[in-house]
Amino acid sequence: MSRPVSRASIIGSIVKKDLTEYSRDRLWMFLTLLVLVFMIVIFWVLPDRVDESIPVGISGLGDPAVMAGLETTEEEGLRLVGFDSADDLRSVVAGQADAWQIDGRVVVIPDDSDTKKPAGAEKANVDVGLAFPSDFLAATAAGNRATVEIFVDAQVPEELKSSMSSLVKELAFAVAGSPLPVDTANPQEVYTVLGQDRAGNQVTPRESFRPLLVFLVLLMEMFGMSSLIAREVQTKTVTALLVTPATTGDVLAAKGIAGVVLGLGQAVILLAAIDVLGNQPLLIITLMLLGAVMVSGAAMVAGSLGRDFLSNLFYGMIFMVPLMIPAFTVLFPGTATGWIRALPSYPLVQGLVKVATYGDGWAEVLPDVGALLAWCVALFVLGWFVLRRKVETL
Amino acid sequence: MEREEERMTVAAIKVENITFAYGDLEAVRGVSFEVAPGEILGFLGPNGAGKSTTIKILTGQLTPKSGTAQVLGVDVTADDPEMQSQIGVCFEEKNLYDSMSGSENLKFYASLFGIKDVDTVELLRRVGLADRAKDRVAKYSKGMKQRLMMARTLVNTPKVLFLDEPTDGLDPVSSQAIRKLIQQEADRGAAVLLTTHDMNEADELSNRLAFINEGQLYAIDTPEALKLKHGKRSIRVRSRDGAGVREQIVSLEESGAGEVLRSAVGSPDLMTIHTEEATLEAIFIQMTGRGLEG
Repeated sequence: MSRPVSRASIIGSIVKKDLTEYSRDRLWMFLTLLVLVFMIVIFWVLPDRVDESIPVGISGLGDPAVMAGLETTEEEGLRLVGFDSADDLRSVVAGQADAWQIDGRVVVIPDDSDTKKPAGAEKANVDVGLAFPSDFLAATAAGNRATVEIFVDAQVPEELKSSMSSLVKELAFAVAGSPLPVDTANPQEVYTVLGQDRAGNQVTPRESFRPLLVFLVLLMEMFGMSSLIAREVQTKTVTALLVTPATTGDVLAAKGIAGVVLGLGQAVILLAAIDVLGNQPLLIITLMLLGAVMVSGAAMVAGSLGRDFLSNLFYGMIFMVPLMIPAFTVLFPGTATGWIRALPSYPLVQGLVKVATYGDGWAEVLPDVGALLAWCVALFVLGWFVLRRKVETL
Repeated sequence: MEREEERMTVAAIKVENITFAYGDLEAVRGVSFEVAPGEILGFLGPNGAGKSTTIKILTGQLTPKSGTAQVLGVDVTADDPEMQSQIGVCFEEKNLYDSMSGSENLKFYASLFGIKDVDTVELLRRVGLADRAKDRVAKYSKGMKQRLMMARTLVNTPKVLFLDEPTDGLDPVSSQAIRKLIQQEADRGAAVLLTTHDMNEADELSNRLAFINEGQLYAIDTPEALKLKHGKRSIRVRSRDGAGVREQIVSLEESGAGEVLRSAVGSPDLMTIHTEEATLEAIFIQMTGRGLEG
């Protein structure tokens, strides 16, 4: 015999059923696991450090003392690579040869050569070269004019080209024993770093990819959930639910909870695997919970509109593309224009970056949490409304 | 006798003048009827006649445009969980969860009614699926799915059953098994509203029949009464006549009919005797101008 049954019990039963169905859908289970593993592998394969120094090739300075003097500039971010000849340097910068460093010397191997790289050698990526004339020291010491050739790769920024010119001039003055023709009124330099000083601690590609990877997993959940909803609507199993004590509200609530459980579950697994949960775990899980609610709302809309796998994919893509954009802007700093900041996923990505990359806490991320919460409510209400309308018109 | 009295006093389903339209199309137009506990009311009509729409209204899936409908004394628009917990609905579509087994489907639905100790084995045994309990529904044949649908309908031992074309497209063996089950439920005391366009099924199962076409009820009565009212009170007697066959129509309205029949029954040449009552389909066509397979 049936007995009075609570709303929570009904919702729990539907959530359990949804998760069972999801776990038995081979396609989505395969894709879910594949994406999860793929994201984790990509993360750990990406470089976890940034080489902040600029490799500069030098040729024509035979005097080791001068080279040693020049190497003090490495503190300023330059890494010097000595070449035997200007021709070698030119061909390496031009990309016609590779430079290999081994035991303090450089071996240049042209691209069209069959010569193998020396065992244990490390490649020297040189984009800028300074080819000093053989009489540079003597000429500058005598106060005569000397010409230094500067080779630059086409991709080298203009600022670096001009700084190379300055370096050559400074070197010439130093060799000639003359002071720089600049009157520095206040020799005491005072740097004021605005924001967190990331010098020596740049954001690595691995860190930059974190929001994108997490977001991709959430979006996979969105597709999976919308597929589940679409199937429930298309096969009209949902009408069979609604002639029991379960109400439309119960069904919608269960869909939302199942979506959040799936999305949050996968996101937390990924976050743990890519080493994000160490700092502010509660804050990060809050962000991911809101993100999962947001994509569940999108899944409700896509699932209600889709009629089959392809149309479901199509409607999912309509949500996916704009939601992905903020995650890409992390890869290309400075590209987040005004309209990108207005996208629902922007506060999620921004919050994630602040916590995971810069170690921020609740106080700094609260505005993002607030904006994300507002978007979550908006998208979830939209999803709820569209799905309810669909269910009621079956 | 007691049940007859109950039928007269308490209606499990009570419908008064309900209407419903899909846009401009009037699907149900002023339909009224009652179904008593233990009674099977057959809704007989062709596709698109308004049978399924009526069931959707009574199960709370659609809201009538006008009129009132009550199930177990509760207005169907009230969305009352207590009422919902006492009805069972068998849909025309096989809306089962294919990735779950028959047993899992039943357990899930039982949980929605708050039933934790549902005897799925017994339910599946009643529909002849006990040996397939653990198989996923995706592997079931159409007939097996329909039988599982019936088992699901009975999971909460409902007081009112709404059965929408429960034997549509099934083989004779599966159809017979489901009809037997429906009769058992009525015998248990459940009120049954059965929609069908199979006149034989309607005739076999229904205590009363309602003819519905284009959203309107044309007649509602017992099958016998309908046949008598609309059929001829005559008997066709066929007997051998030398090398041929002689056929004689005996009108029961005539005074000498009894004598003629006694004579025919006693004759060694008698081949067959048939009543001339109308078939339900013929009555339906006569009343609505439309066949049941439309």
